[in-house]
Amino acid sequence: MTDAELIEKLKADLGDRVEIANPAPRRLFLKVAPRVLVDVTTRLRDAYGLVFLSTISGLDNGATFEIIYHFSTPGQDFNIRTEVPKDAPRVPSITPVIPGAILYEREIQEMFGIVVDGIPDGRRLMLSDDWPEGQFPLRKDWRHARPQEVIPGGES
Amino acid sequence: MSFEIPIGPQHPALKEPISLRMTVEGEVITGADIRLGYNHRGVEKVAEEKNWTQNIYLAERICGICSHSHATCFVQGVEKLMELQPPKRGLYIRYLVSELERVHSHLLWLGVAGHEAGFDSFFMYTWRDREIVMDLLEMITGNRVHYAINAIGGVRRDLDEGQKAKVLEGVATLRKRSVYYFRIGATEPSFVARIAGVGMLSLEQAVALCACGPTARASGWARDVRKEDPYAVYDELDFAVCTADTCDVLGRVVVRVKELLESYNMIEQMIRNLPGGDIACKAPRKAKPGEVVSRYEAPRGENIHYIKANGTDKPERLKVRAPTLGNYPATVEMLRNGFIADIPLIFAAIDPCICCAERTVTLIGARSGEESVVRMSDLRRRALARPENALLKRNAVWPF
Repeated sequence: MTDAELIEKLKADLGDRVEIANPAPRRLFLKVAPRVLVDVTTRLRDAYGLVFLSTISGLDNGATFEIIYHFSTPGQDFNIRTEVPKDAPRVPSITPVIPGAILYEREIQEMFGIVVDGIPDGRRLMLSDDWPEGQFPLRKDWRHARPQEVIPGGES
Repeated sequence: MSFEIPIGPQHPALKEPISLRMTVEGEVITGADIRLGYNHRGVEKVAEEKNWTQNIYLAERICGICSHSHATCFVQGVEKLMELQPPKRGLYIRYLVSELERVHSHLLWLGVAGHEAGFDSFFMYTWRDREIVMDLLEMITGNRVHYAINAIGGVRRDLDEGQKAKVLEGVATLRKRSVYYFRIGATEPSFVARIAGVGMLSLEQAVALCACGPTARASGWARDVRKEDPYAVYDELDFAVCTADTCDVLGRVVVRVKELLESYNMIEQMIRNLPGGDIACKAPRKAKPGEVVSRYEAPRGENIHYIKANGTDKPERLKVRAPTLGNYPATVEMLRNGFIADIPLIFAAIDPCICCAERTVTLIGARSGEESVVRMSDLRRRALARPENALLKRNAVWPF
């Protein structure tokens, strides 16, 4: 199926729940609202074979966070994007639909401070256990501050 | 009584040291938990501070074994953002290095698999042959590990006739030897018996957990980025996607062996059809605002970079997903219901080569909290001793 045919079919099927862009051959970008994310993902998995999730990218756009779910089928790449406000960053978990999403959801939780509702395992993935609460390194306003060096026994 | 065994976190031979906590009942693993981040270097954050050219070298240093994969994935994405058309000759040389890298990575892996199964002569043969391809890589790029052949808009070094002849000669030797060793596999039933039925991952599990690369293909899921999203030169090459349907470590060996032979073919095709002309075009310093999803089939599976540009000479965002991360959820499933003795083999099978290092493993009694320290060599000794005290899949056949 060519990209144009697929876009027509998706538009007829999903209606105004998605905005579809096709910036390059075999690349589709679908924009959905966070509340319909799970429904759309379920529909795409069942009817279009979107079973393979490559990764989830988070982006800090200033006032909002953008979350992109990179799926692929043998024919096309589907990138489902959704946007959440920075003061209440919550997205539903897609692990009931795609169990393999768990590591990537844990990653956006700790790197951006986006709360994933219904995540089966919400522990940190990369950051260490003694990492301070409320520090999200991939946010644009986050800067690394080197901790004060403490010499045991004090300066000689 | 169940015990919890921590494995890791420090493994010097790994690009990503990981810690696995294994819950065991006797010899049988009932659960595994993964902890990552011991080697987290904040590459994605650093990339936002560096310009496009500096980021090639940063991307190359994400991984030591498939260094070319990350650099190429990044560069082909940036070329799309800058709307560059690199000359064909440059692309052929770039993807020639890709396939040579796949050969070196798969030969390394086969050796490790042989070593973990107690078939050390196989290990020595494959690693001897890996030197041939390492020498070819050094001849073409000037380096053995971080090739640094990529530039935005092409490659840095050209190939001459003498080098082309040497590559063809090396590949011919490798093919002859590979075919011979794979015949040895057929006459070595203990090797086949050791790897058959170990680390089972059904097709349904592989699909649900988004496994990628040879791990997915060994479960009968024919996904290969080179075929389904043919970047650069791959739509001009003749090759097949290699799969196996045994869903175990034997299947993963078979897939990689078949891929080696396909890579030899691809290398020969690229050398024979190498077009003339320039090797690189001039790249602008800045990229227009935009975004691109770049996919690349690394030796271990799909490598994906999401790059967003904001009009300056630095990326707004670079998101990297290496194939090993994608295979971790599947590894947990493979380990479940396996034996302690199979841990090295199953780990090795997704190709993080955890076992080539002498490692210390601590056994902690879940109730008593008592600790005992086991060296990786002991774990390996247990692996070798396993056939005497565990059931094996009988009558497995070497498929070549």
